Amino acid sequence: MTPKNNIVIAIIVGLVIVASYNVDANPVDFAEGIPNLGVIVAEIFVLESLIDDLKYIPTALWAMLETLQMAFIGTVIGVVIGLPLSMLAARNLNSKFVYAPTRALLAVIRTFPSILWALLFVIMVGLGPYAGVLAIVMYTIGFVTKLQYESIETIDSDPMDAVSSIGVSKFQLIRYVVLPESASHLLGQILYMFDYNVRQTSILGIVGAGGIGFFIINYIKFFEYGKAAMFMLVVLITVLAIDWISVKVRDKYIIKSQHGMDVKSK
Amino acid sequence: MTETPSFSLISTNKIIQMNDVWTSYDSKNFALSGVSLSIDRGTNYAIVGQSGSGKSTLLKLMNGMMTPSKGTIKMDYQTPNMNNKTFKKMMHTIGYIPQSLGLVKNISVLDNILIGALPRLSTMQSILKQFPKHEIQEAKRILKLVGLSGKESRKAYMISGGEKRRVAIARALMQKPTILLADEIVSELDHVTAREIMDLILDAQKKMNLTAIMVHHDMTLALEYANRVAVIKEGEKILEIGVEGDKIVDFQTGDMSIEEIMEMHNNDAKE
Ligand SMILES: Nc1ncnc2c1ncn2[C@@H]1O[C@H](COP(=O)(O)OP(=O)(O)OP(=O)(O)O)[C@@H](O)[C@H]1O
Ligand SMILES: [Mg+2]
Repeated sequence: MTPKNNIVIAIIVGLVIVASYNVDANPVDFAEGIPNLGVIVAEIFVLESLIDDLKYIPTALWAMLETLQMAFIGTVIGVVIGLPLSMLAARNLNSKFVYAPTRALLAVIRTFPSILWALLFVIMVGLGPYAGVLAIVMYTIGFVTKLQYESIETIDSDPMDAVSSIGVSKFQLIRYVVLPESASHLLGQILYMFDYNVRQTSILGIVGAGGIGFFIINYIKFFEYGKAAMFMLVVLITVLAIDWISVKVRDKYIIKSQHGMDVKSK
Repeated sequence: MTETPSFSLISTNKIIQMNDVWTSYDSKNFALSGVSLSIDRGTNYAIVGQSGSGKSTLLKLMNGMMTPSKGTIKMDYQTPNMNNKTFKKMMHTIGYIPQSLGLVKNISVLDNILIGALPRLSTMQSILKQFPKHEIQEAKRILKLVGLSGKESRKAYMISGGEKRRVAIARALMQKPTILLADEIVSELDHVTAREIMDLILDAQKKMNLTAIMVHHDMTLALEYANRVAVIKEGEKILEIGVEGDKIVDFQTGDMSIEEIMEMHNNDAKE
């Protein structure tokens, strides 16, 4: 290791210590807080309340279903708006005058985390899942578009050049070269986005934008850790299930087609 | 050029004219330096030369994907430039088969061929992928013609190298071309398949009064099929000959026998 590297490491360590001091991140506090976790766990497993909590399972499932629907609508609409934008943002399809402003707009959209969008839409359209859906739409536009224009830019230039040399229109080029050649990437990204949006939507309730997070935050506020934990468990199981399904879908339809095997062989 | 129609004897018979064309990819080296050529309508014109001599560059200039830094090019009296609206119309009928073929890998063989018909479709038809019946029939006819029967629904990445070349030829023929630019499409094939494909193009040429400009690696093949052969070396045209049967009828540069030409080419290939 060179002295230069040592200096860099020393600076980083120094910065972490200074920053921790500034934000009051003290390891001793963390250690002292561990027993509190035990208190919560003990409270969850008090028998009567556990049985009582189980009655809330249908509510939790409904809330989760609402969350899933919000994530689904948000992802679909976000992709529908985002895909044309990614075509405009791709450098291999447009002149600088088109892709540069589109990218700038998308960068601005991307600076807001979904929770801030949610807050903004709660102010605009009021409390409830609608604000959450709008937040997911905006987040999806910013995020999925970046993934997609980047994969559009990696398309092989040979078919693009060959088909352009026929003098086809931009629409035709997109329809017959860009989309088929990037479809498996785009689909994979949409699945990933949905997966990610389910997680995000689960917490949007914290600012009153609907979904299961609304219940969780309220139970925590009123020290009903048992119910909160159960609702969280529902989120955990759902997210794991979606993760598992999308891995399966990706393996079956996307990875194979990228390796050049026929997926739909009879 | 025994088959050239009589009307082409008047001045309109020059379908391609290049005059002192220079071009480069970077500011340092010229890929072509001062190439001039003039091609009669209906000719099968071959371009031969060793690797890196500028053959592909020559074709890219003809279809407007590149523009010369100096000199003029006329394709049917129009200056090639793919960003020019008028020339874009002309590109509809210039069949270009790049060295890499440029097939769309994830769509079927038939769909790849149908791409050649896209300029004849409305925006709505092409978005909905609704090709008129007669276009689909035409695509199937060409598919058969190039010997791809039974392969129409295969994805383009699932066929052999020779079959890929046939698809690229079919796509070009689907354009109803007046000019065909083909970059080494038979170079990597065995002799039998190479001749099959060359016969196919010659046949299409006779039926459609097509002008074909074909880059070849193999001088033998060029002399066998072309009416005219230009030899390119280091960005310059060093020789152009007319061929009739097994006779060389017209030297534009130099004074060599067919054996000397072959020998020169073979030496070049060895370098
Ligand atoms: N995209 C490019 N960028 C920079 N230089 C290039 C590019 N394409 C070709 N060249 C250079 O231009 C010259 C001519 O290339 P060209 O592709 O026309 O040769 P070619 O005769 O077709 O060769 P081959 O038989 O190997 O296909 C070469 O020196 C090559 O290195
Ligand atoms: Mg080449």
